[in-house]
Amino acid sequence: MAKEQWFDNISAKPTIIVQRTLRSGQNVNYDGNVVVLGDVNPGAEIVASGHVVVMGSLRGLVHAGATGEDSATVTALSLNPTQLRISSHITRPPDGSRPENSICPEIARIKEGAVVIEKYQAPK
Amino acid sequence: MGKVIVITSGKGGVGKTTATANLGTGLAMLGKSVVMVDTDIGLRNLDVVLGLENRIVYDIVDAVRGNCRLKQALIKDKRLENLHLLPAAQTKDKTAVSEQQMKDLCQTLKDEFDYVIIDCPAGIEHGFKNAIAGAEEAIVVTTPEVSAVRDADRIIGLLEAAGIASPKLVINRIRVKMVKAGDMMSVEDMLDILAVDLLGIVPDDEIIVVSTNRGEPTVLDDRSRPGQAFRNIVRRINGEDVPLLALEDEVGFWGRLKNLFAR
Repeated sequence: MAKEQWFDNISAKPTIIVQRTLRSGQNVNYDGNVVVLGDVNPGAEIVASGHVVVMGSLRGLVHAGATGEDSATVTALSLNPTQLRISSHITRPPDGSRPENSICPEIARIKEGAVVIEKYQAPK
Repeated sequence: MGKVIVITSGKGGVGKTTATANLGTGLAMLGKSVVMVDTDIGLRNLDVVLGLENRIVYDIVDAVRGNCRLKQALIKDKRLENLHLLPAAQTKDKTAVSEQQMKDLCQTLKDEFDYVIIDCPAGIEHGFKNAIAGAEEAIVVTTPEVSAVRDADRIIGLLEAAGIASPKLVINRIRVKMVKAGDMMSVEDMLDILAVDLLGIVPDDEIIVVSTNRGEPTVLDDRSRPGQAFRNIVRRINGEDVPLLALEDEVGFWGRLKNLFAR
């Protein structure tokens, strides 16, 4: 029986777990996936070549797939980044919208050339 | 052995010096021996807020460099026996004192006093590093503005990196009406981002301008609302469990009348 390759190239990258809240001025720059057990506050920065998962509020700047991986994703329990970048795509919340704590976890990924944010649901 | 507490904020103009003057005075009112240290070398203000400007002979730079004995540089407050000020130098700059010198200074002062309250300059450079060098605890002052909260967040990060864990938060200049109307950040909004312990809330009041200009800390005034808030904070620093000031009672005419009789 051939082993099924269930993960993509990015998921297999090394991962660091950041067990703290990233405050303004603090940053994580990592060649791989980043998991934050805490919040990412405005003014904080995460740059990762892989996926980014934030188990808390993401209010800062995040760049997933920073070395050009379009399949990278950003997931957070509350996804309200100042700016969200995936690969070479840059997005920001629409002007004038007051950041509100989203009630459900959300995931951002590139679909058909645009960054799309959806409610996170465990894949069936 | 006393406690060394630094009062800091990152952003300028949020009320560090006012808070230092009031908390220092308040602690002295409880009978503690207190020294306030102004580390804002080149832009000294604390002496003015306390009305002690004309008594300065020697300053912190003279003291750490040995130009005078530390005792000579300490100014005794004109109202309270057990309150002292170590003023900043005005004609030097922040580099006139080193971090090691500050550590030694705080060590010496805490043997003598119950509380050493350090007024930190704005910014995160040399002056800030000096101010926190000898501190064991920190109080971060912020106002309900996005920029002030952002800077407070940065400062909390820097304090933690410097080994001063779990700083306490004082929210200054809150306006209940504006918060209710949704035009000002609420206490909850700020705590949500900063995630630190709240030490107290100080309402915005014109009386602060008057007391600052007169050189009389508002904590000495029984009728002042910010003064009451500072008295509560002082008691919390002293280990008492004091409920937060009810900001709700926006005093209307009847309320004022009632207060008049209640007094």
